[in-house]
Amino acid sequence: MPAPIDHAAAARTDYDVLVVGSGVSGAIIARSLAERGLQVLIVEAGPGEELSVAEYETHLTRFYGAAAKDNNSAYEVNPNAPMPRSPDVRRLQAGHPDSTSYLIQNGPYEMDSTYTRVLGGTTMHWEGKALRMLPEDFQMRTRFGQGRDWPIAYDDLELYYQQAERELGVSADVADQTFYGITFPPDYVFPMHSLPQSYLDTIIARDLDGTVVQLEETERTILVRPTAQSRNSIPNPAYDGGKGYVPVGAVSTHQVDQGDRCQGNINCVPLCPVQAKYSARKTLSFGVRTGRVDILTQTVASQVHVGADGQVSHVDYQAYGSTTSPEHVTGSLRATTYVLAANPVENARLLLASGLPSSSGLVGRNLMDHAYLLTWGLLPEVAGTMRGSQCTSGIEDLRSGDFRTRHAAMRVSIHNDGWSWPTGSPYTDLIELVDDANAYGTALRRRVADRISRQLMLSFMIDLPPEPSNRITVDGRYVDALGNLRPVLSYSLPDYTMDAVAVSRRVSRQLFQRLGVEDRTHYDPLDPGFVSHQGDGYVIRGGNHWSGTHIMGTASHDSVVDSHQRSWDHQNLYLVGSGSMPSIGTSNTTLTLAALSFRTADHIVSELTTRPSVTIEG
Amino acid sequence: MNDELHEAFLDLSSTLTGYSRFRLLGTGQADPYLSTTREAVGEEVLAELLNTYTDVHRDAGDDEKALDTGLRARILSDRLLGPVARNVIKMWFVGTWYELPQEWRDVQATRGHDSTHVVSPASYTEALLWPTIGANPPGAKAQGFGSWAAPPTIDAP
Ligand SMILES: Cc1cc2nc3c(=O)[nH]c(=O)nc-3n(C[C@H](O)[C@H](O)[C@H](O)COP(=O)(O)OP(=O)(O)OC[C@H]3O[C@@H](n4cnc5c(N)ncnc54)[C@H](O)[C@@H]3O)c2cc1C
Ligand code: SF4
Repeated sequence: MPAPIDHAAAARTDYDVLVVGSGVSGAIIARSLAERGLQVLIVEAGPGEELSVAEYETHLTRFYGAAAKDNNSAYEVNPNAPMPRSPDVRRLQAGHPDSTSYLIQNGPYEMDSTYTRVLGGTTMHWEGKALRMLPEDFQMRTRFGQGRDWPIAYDDLELYYQQAERELGVSADVADQTFYGITFPPDYVFPMHSLPQSYLDTIIARDLDGTVVQLEETERTILVRPTAQSRNSIPNPAYDGGKGYVPVGAVSTHQVDQGDRCQGNINCVPLCPVQAKYSARKTLSFGVRTGRVDILTQTVASQVHVGADGQVSHVDYQAYGSTTSPEHVTGSLRATTYVLAANPVENARLLLASGLPSSSGLVGRNLMDHAYLLTWGLLPEVAGTMRGSQCTSGIEDLRSGDFRTRHAAMRVSIHNDGWSWPTGSPYTDLIELVDDANAYGTALRRRVADRISRQLMLSFMIDLPPEPSNRITVDGRYVDALGNLRPVLSYSLPDYTMDAVAVSRRVSRQLFQRLGVEDRTHYDPLDPGFVSHQGDGYVIRGGNHWSGTHIMGTASHDSVVDSHQRSWDHQNLYLVGSGSMPSIGTSNTTLTLAALSFRTADHIVSELTTRPSVTIEG
Repeated sequence: MNDELHEAFLDLSSTLTGYSRFRLLGTGQADPYLSTTREAVGEEVLAELLNTYTDVHRDAGDDEKALDTGLRARILSDRLLGPVARNVIKMWFVGTWYELPQEWRDVQATRGHDSTHVVSPASYTEALLWPTIGANPPGAKAQGFGSWAAPPTIDAP
């Protein structure tokens, strides 16, 4: 569906805005600007010929046929616009960077987070949790003496959160989501009702609700709540003052609707087969329908050029015809305003490769991601694990409180997909039962059901404050197939976060004791992500919530962008996405970065309309 | 395809998986799995496996305990046949052929395609693991909106 446009035509067109990257952050800006009359070009490094169901099915078949079903297994390997893949991550030897895969791991800690470089970006395989941040998360320095404050507050974003919830099609009920300072306007409802909680959730809630957990001086009473998610449920007729909400189904050139509601495929990562889950292709297809958005796929932005006036003058690109050959053509694209929406790692990589570290020197620094600690065990009864979407409920009670002066906050998800993340279940269970337990026949069937349907896995998503030493850099020794510098990651976890890891393990034990769960958690020192802290070892997983590499602030000397995500150094350049966030709290980042995109779009419109040459329609 | 082989493979598979021949046939995977096994271990080993099973079955008659003892003694603990039988089980349950153990390959230079691979996209969606746990294969055959809120229906074997 991208409008038929070639590079030569694009180079001749006067665009108001050039957007680099077709992920959710770029797609929202493009759609939002085009709907207000601006002419937008999106360049997308990855493939994606059309926004079609047929192409979708190709991804799906590739996924079914892949022996290792990692979270990028639905997408072909593309050396021209490579992406990190979690099975690539290896245990590092001290002092030896691992450059064998696209993202160079400089250590000391390994990080297995990924992102996706295809049309629609990482939301093609995100899980779809759509959480607002807590008001206190915006004031980490003032409230808790940790990390950084935002230059804006929750209340400044509230209206934009509402827009983001509409765009991302969030299913939730206000009563469940009103906690720890999160507020909604009096008559607000989410576009769709909450997704039903899984049978597993109800078993956990039955036994856990009311449990008291002690975090420093803070006492918290556990309540299992449904999780707000970007996947289609039953529309709420009260939405939008009674106008209701029409769920967005499959995007396609032919608009065959493949069924709207989530069917419980438990496959949101890497790919929802019925497109019940939001992906940025939904926003892109609305953008394209305005007639004012052009998209060039297989087009890598390779260099950002700045003129003598300090403004961005043009962006160089490399366009390749096939993912199997490095052959490409190059050229330059111009617009009035430039938006880099390539995600925190790629935005930083592109700026650094262009020799633009910013006057603060902070491009690439303050990299954040949630640290994940997984704990798992067997419930005393069959819970029907492996059904529903990945997670339908969680525990919000460990996210807020004065304990945040001492250690990081955490959010717990209850996983409907059992131990699959930590152990590779159910495959590994089957192999063990056949090869080691010597089970076969009806006995095997019984043992498989018993072993898998009783699984419980909790993930603790732990806050990581911005640390300048956690960073993305580039290094002339490492280039990709098109000659672009590859990202180099330096990463470690401060005590503030590691103390919360230890607390999470303790809380998990308490919850398991209450549930009668047989704890099967173990952390293998040979696994990537293994870290020792105060005598105990843990495996820390990446959260896929890359943030902070072009951090937002109040002044050019200690931040890269202002509260509108505009570069302090270059007035016609915006760096958008979670790279701008000064803290990530305990919310998955996408809803917040979507809200920021809407806010930035407003700002760009107001900036461009003050110029006499642009007329804004409708 | 040779009918006798085919029948013997189905009988063996039914005993090894605990699912009826009828249920196995319903997946449409019997032929592809038989071919996959033949390609990986060769005609001779396949024939030996199936013939041994036919003998064990005949010797045991209707005595389930004798079938179990015979199967363990003559197939599952056999250096050559055991790993192949276990691979057949795993293939039915998850649709993947797993590379045979190093020890097996050292003794028996494999004939053909023995690396770990998903037999076909259909073998993934037809895998028996999912009905065994009352779930659907991730990404396929979803059970419908809200189905996850009810207790699972697991067919007791
Ligand atoms: C497995 C997984 C699960 C997740 N689950 C959740 C969740 O449940 N909730 C949540 O809130 N978040 C989740 N996330 C994070 C979420 O996916 C991201 O926050 C979000 O997609 C980021 O959007 P973006 O538009 O900023 O970047 P992206 O979606 O990464 O898009 C960037 C785009 O830019 C393109 N690009 C990159 N470099 C160039 C270049 N040089 N030239 C041109 N184009 C370029 C890329 O190809 C890509 O299409 C998850 C992520 C992963 C990996
Ligand atoms: S559970 Fe399934 S149907 Fe629902 S959003 Fe995820 S992949 Fe789509």
